[in-house]
Order: sequence, then structure tokens, then C-alpha cells
Amino acid sequence: MKSLAELDKLREKLQEEMRLREGKEDVKVVVTMGTCGIASGAREVLTAILEEISKRGLKGVTVTQTGCAGLCHCEPLVEVERPGRDKVTYGHVDEKKAREIVVSHLVNGQIIKEWTIK
Amino acid sequence: MMEELAHHILDVARNSLEAGATRVEITVEEDPTGDLLRFSVVDNGSGIPPYVQRQLANPFFTTKSGKKVGLGLPFLQAAVERCGGNLEIRSDVGRGTTVVATFPYYCWDRPPLGDMPRTIVSLLVGNGHLDLCYRHIFNGQSFELDTGEIRSRLKGIPLDTPEVLLWLRQYLAENLNILSGGGGYEVARRAG
Ligand code: FES
Repeated sequence: MKSLAELDKLREKLQEEMRLREGKEDVKVVVTMGTCGIASGAREVLTAILEEISKRGLKGVTVTQTGCAGLCHCEPLVEVERPGRDKVTYGHVDEKKAREIVVSHLVNGQIIKEWTIK
Repeated sequence: MMEELAHHILDVARNSLEAGATRVEITVEEDPTGDLLRFSVVDNGSGIPPYVQRQLANPFFTTKSGKKVGLGLPFLQAAVERCGGNLEIRSDVGRGTTVVATFPYYCWDRPPLGDMPRTIVSLLVGNGHLDLCYRHIFNGQSFELDTGEIRSRLKGIPLDTPEVLLWLRQYLAENLNILSGGGGYEVARRAG
């Protein structure tokens, strides 16, 4: 059973990791969460990304959300921005694709071209 | 289409964020005995001007430039109407907005409540500073989560760190499960 006291332990672990990363720039992952995004699974995509990041122990990844991008027909959308590189936008992302994007793009630095939209 | 009420709740609360809210209170009340399911989202955002309020049920109306339709609230309105429920929107420009949706608990057409932990966690992604208060009431028993309390425990570690959010998701899931006695319908029947 999770208790708030247990959160203290997690905090200590994260504080240690933060000290080690001091000053390094983060990779940014953005999920669009307009109405269409939500209706087509953005919430599921978002939590899948969190899970995969945590499962792989990835550090230095900031996950954020944004509102409608005006691209209903491509939702859910996921953008990946690595420091010093162009932004890459993936369309029609589902939970499975989201996990693969984390592994391929964030872990291995490999863009999955077929899923990107311009 | 939104399959869960939790999707609608996320959508309404996302509107709050777009309206610049720094505090959002979400309450879900399940009262099987009284045949009622109600949720409310209360924010301190910029509010909805009266001319927009008149248009809220119109799916083709939006204030966002570059966006042709604003489907969020009309979807919810339709879901409410399908089961003869009620949707109430009150808004004060500069002070905030309150959205309250009420459904009969036992109605075949009512979408299931769905995954509230996922909705709460999704709202917090990238919004570690948001003051979010989530209250869930089931047959008069309640559970409450306040991000202020969580943040003070985290002592500077961002609330929206993936590990923290996943922890919160589980924390919520376990507590909601206990609250509903591990399966809403069964409990409701035994109690009734
Ligand atoms: S919500 Fe549909 S384009 Fe944004």
C-alpha cells in the first residue's frame, strides 16, 4: 500500500540523481492535449511515455503537454526536441508507438521517420 | 469520441489550464445508492466572457485562432443529454469557471467513470506547479489529494518528474480502489 511517507524515500533517490545531472540540458517531449488529442488517446500516450522513461531509467527528459495544435486529423501528436537538433513531430501515436519512440529516439537517438509528420 | 467521463474531466480541466488557472479543484461524487454520479471542475482561470458562454453548446464555435471547431463542451453536453443528466457552467470573468456535470448512476448510456488516476497524472505533466485538489466521494466516504501537500514532501524535486507522477498514479489507484471497496457496482448492490 502506497503511503505518503513512502514518497520521502523516492524523493531522496531523485535528489541524488539530480545532483549527478547538474547543468546538463534536457531532452523535451511534448504531447498535444486538445480535445481531439484527448479523444484519440493523448492521455494514454502521455502515461505510456512516463512509464517507458521510468522503466528505462532515463534521466534528463522533460515531458510536457500543450493545447490544441490545429492538426486534429494527426492526433495524438508527440514532439521530441533534443538540445541542438531540429524538433521532430510524430503523428497518430498510440501507446505502443509512444514506447517505441522513447526507446528508438530517446535512448538510441534514432528518429522513426515513417511516423513523423512535417 | 470520449469513452470515459475521466476523458471529459481531463478535457474540461485542460480548458482551465488554457484559461490560465493556477488552482483547479476536481470533485467526483459517486453515489450509487442515490443513483447519482456528479463531477465538478472549479478553477481560478480567466473565466468565460458572456458572449462565449452563449455559444458553449455550439460545436462549431471556438475562440482559438487557427482552430475551426471547439468540440470539448458540446461532447460533454451530448453525453449528459443522452442520459437525461444536467450540465451547469458558471463563469465570472477574471475569477474563474465552475463546470458541474450530473448523471444518473444507473444509466446504460452513461460513459463509465474510467481511469481517474491517469487523468489526474496527465494534467500534472509539465504542470508541476499547478495547485490541484482532487476529491473523490464514494457512498459518502471520501478521499482527497492535494498537490500542495505532495510538493512540500518533495522538497524541491519537481512534482512532474516521471517517477513521482507514476508513484502518484499508483497511490491514487490504490486509494480509489479501497474507497470503492474494490468494485463499485458490487458494493452498491450489497449496501442497497
Ligand atoms: S482539438 Fe482538434 S485540432 Fe485541436
